[in-house]
Order: sequence, then C-alpha cells, then structure tokens
Amino acid sequence: MNLANVMDEIAGRLSTIEGLRVFAWPVGTLTPPGAVVGYPADGQYDETYGRGADSMTIPVVIVVGRVSERASRDLLAAYVDGSGARSIKTVLETGTYTTFDTIRVQWPDFDVYTVAGTDYLSVVFDVSVFGKGSS
Amino acid sequence: MTFKHSKDTYVSIDDVDISAFTDSSEIGRKIDTSDVTTYGKASHVYSTGLMDGTGKISGTYDDSEAGPRATLTELLAAGEAVTFIRRPEGTGAGLPQDSVSVFVTSYTETNAVADMIKWSVDLQFSGDVDTTAQAG
Repeated sequence: MNLANVMDEIAGRLSTIEGLRVFAWPVGTLTPPGAVVGYPADGQYDETYGRGADSMTIPVVIVVGRVSERASRDLLAAYVDGSGARSIKTVLETGTYTTFDTIRVQWPDFDVYTVAGTDYLSVVFDVSVFGKGSS
Repeated sequence: MTFKHSKDTYVSIDDVDISAFTDSSEIGRKIDTSDVTTYGKASHVYSTGLMDGTGKISGTYDDSEAGPRATLTELLAAGEAVTFIRRPEGTGAGLPQDSVSVFVTSYTETNAVADMIKWSVDLQFSGDVDTTAQAG
C-alpha cells in the first residue's frame, strides 16, 4: 500500500459527503465543516508471510462549528451516526477502493480543534485499512 | 549462526503458494516410545518406534481463487494426501525445506466482529519428512 494513495482514496470518498471540505493531508488551516486525513497513528508491515499484507490506522479528523453552538452538536451527530448520508462510518465502509482491500471505521474520540485561536468541536476517527504488502 | 525472522517463511500445499495469506505455521514431529522397563530398574527404560508428525497453518482470509478457503476446503473434502512444503527461512538455494505428504484434517474460519476473518488448518503427516535443503 502506498500511503499517499491510501490517504487520497479516503479523502476522495469523504468528498462525496455534501458540504464537507476535505483535505487529503494535514493542512494549516481550514474552514469548518471540514475533514482532514492525517498520517497513520500506527501500522504493521508483514501481516502475512512473504510481504503478503500490511495494515495501517489512519486518523480522520472532522471539524464542525464552535464548541458552544447547538448546531455544531447536531452536525457532529450526523457525522458520528452509524448510518445516513453524512455518516463517516457508512460512507467510508461502503466505498470501493483500489489501493487497499478492507476498511473499518472505529468509534471516534471527541476533541477540540483550534484554528486561528478559535476552538472548534471535532472528532477523530481511527480508520483501519488492510491491503497488499508488496504489490 | 544468526537469528532468523519468520516473515519470509514460505508455505505451499498441493502446489498452491498460500504464504501471502499466512501469518503463522508450525510443524511438530515426534517418535513413538515403548516402555521396556524390566524388574530391578530404578527408572523407566524406553525404546523408540515410528516417527509421526502434524502441522498447523493459519492466517488471514482472502476470497481469491487461490486463497485459503478455496484451496483448503477443497483439499479437506477430497481427503487425499497432498504435498506440504514449508521453508522456514524463505525461498533460496541452500535454505532449509521440509516436504511431506499430508492430509488436511480440519479447516476453521473465525469471524470476530472487530477483526479480519481468520482461518486455520490442521495437517496430519503421512510418511517421512524430506528435509533436503532447497536446490539452486
């Protein structure tokens, strides 16, 4: 698996969510609501013999509005939902990919993402991918 | 003498290379023993008999035509002896290899909800193990 291609494919799939600004790499600033595909938190070469398979866990950060706004909570709920047009889990896990074989989105951590001195409500999804090691 | 990592291990069964779907393999060899202790001994005395052996392979499921499910369930159903080859240090001239005729005696798939689908097989050796190193 090529890391850049994996990040591009995840970002491409996220881009199908209406109204979500998506970046395939960590950017210095963004205007919410936005999604940032980060670098792997962990991974594993040699999941099988002979360079058969590798795995990695990619963080996907979703930033919505200001922490104190109710609209932020409602928008975030749609992204965290286990189903629906804005569900990060559903959208990513129903995608078709060529750079890896399987993808699984795990329950996110809730956080505050500071952009230009303003705190925004955010969540970080751990996205696990598993694919070919040497092809 | 150097330590060797398992990541380059090669396994094939019935001429199908399943290494890319395998993350663990083991072979066990043993020899029968008979107790021939007689009166007057302070300890047991044994005599050896026939060699025997078993193997186990496991890994991650793949749905391809040469994947573990397609390959191994067919061998289990056929119930025929096939050749199992294991190269513990990988493929290369002079590197060790075990080759033996085996029966696939079980195939197991495990589907844990938070993990990849896993598989495993048990092998019963039938006949001698050929431990000749790989040819050039």
